[in-house]
Amino acid sequence: MNQDAEVTFEAIDNSESGNGGVEHGALLSRLCEAIYNEDGDQLASVKDQVIESAGADVLVDAVAVSANFYMMTRIADATGTPLDAGSVEPSVQIRQLVGVNSFTSRREAPA
Amino acid sequence: MSVLTMAAYSTELPLRTDLNDAHEEMAQRWATTGLWWSGAERLAIVEEVRNARDSERLAPWESPSQIDGLVSDDHVLPAAAVDAIWRITNHPGTLTAEWHASILGQGLHPEAYVELVGVVAQANAVDRFADALNLERVQLPDPSHAQPARSSDPSVQIASHWVPTAKIKGPNVVKALSAVPFENESMQLLSSVQYVPLGDLLSDLVSNQNSLSRLQIEVLAARTSKLNECFY
Repeated sequence: MNQDAEVTFEAIDNSESGNGGVEHGALLSRLCEAIYNEDGDQLASVKDQVIESAGADVLVDAVAVSANFYMMTRIADATGTPLDAGSVEPSVQIRQLVGVNSFTSRREAPA
Repeated sequence: MSVLTMAAYSTELPLRTDLNDAHEEMAQRWATTGLWWSGAERLAIVEEVRNARDSERLAPWESPSQIDGLVSDDHVLPAAAVDAIWRITNHPGTLTAEWHASILGQGLHPEAYVELVGVVAQANAVDRFADALNLERVQLPDPSHAQPARSSDPSVQIASHWVPTAKIKGPNVVKALSAVPFENESMQLLSSVQYVPLGDLLSDLVSNQNSLSRLQIEVLAARTSKLNECFY
């Protein structure tokens, strides 16, 4: 994949907006949604699409990445982990674009 | 296609050996005596994560220990620990400093809480992976019988997080479990096979990992974090 490609935050915001310049971006976003929703039919359908479009190895690796963030999010939110000092200012626009500023975990994390 | 039978999983999917081995190692680590919890208690934490995920979902403000019949009276874990496990597992985006203080106010030591968070978070990652791929969840081994030291490290202090942390370098999320180094190691072990080695987190933003580009990895990470309402 060309790492110089223009990338947007569409696939992070939701799976309906497009790939955001990332190969299979919307499909991977849908996979995350299906894992989160724990809907067997939805998940089976998206997994089939991932295997057909990208391959079974991509499915396994993508599920592993998504699953890892069931760990990282719980560590961050259960320990009151604040944003890193160097990322507060640079992330202002990104946080607005992906719509996370209303999260409880923002209000409670130390500045 | 041949069936891959290894320690952690049996599947026809092309499961990487390092991933399989890491999950098997995680089960062994859960059964090991911790700094604050015994092996049996640590396995009970994992079992309680599974109970929380498999039971009828409670509202965030409902405590399982207060619901008749949901938690046995002779549970190996204190009620505050069980309540924390369910809340962290099913409603991580609702956690507040006041909630954290209320859990500690019921007698849980701050560093025991850190160890509990580590085990809960790891179990969520490992089981979510298995469930999403229709794999049998990792089997839990017999627990170690050694008793935990339950000794506090005087150098860990509350600084930037709700919990005490050690003075180590790295992103704040890597410091989060630093009061209990064993759990920090477990987090890094899992992250290195399921995400990227945390040492490369910011120094290498372009290398592919296995079958995924770094951009695809970050889409998966960010989308999942948003779904879990994690600001960090």
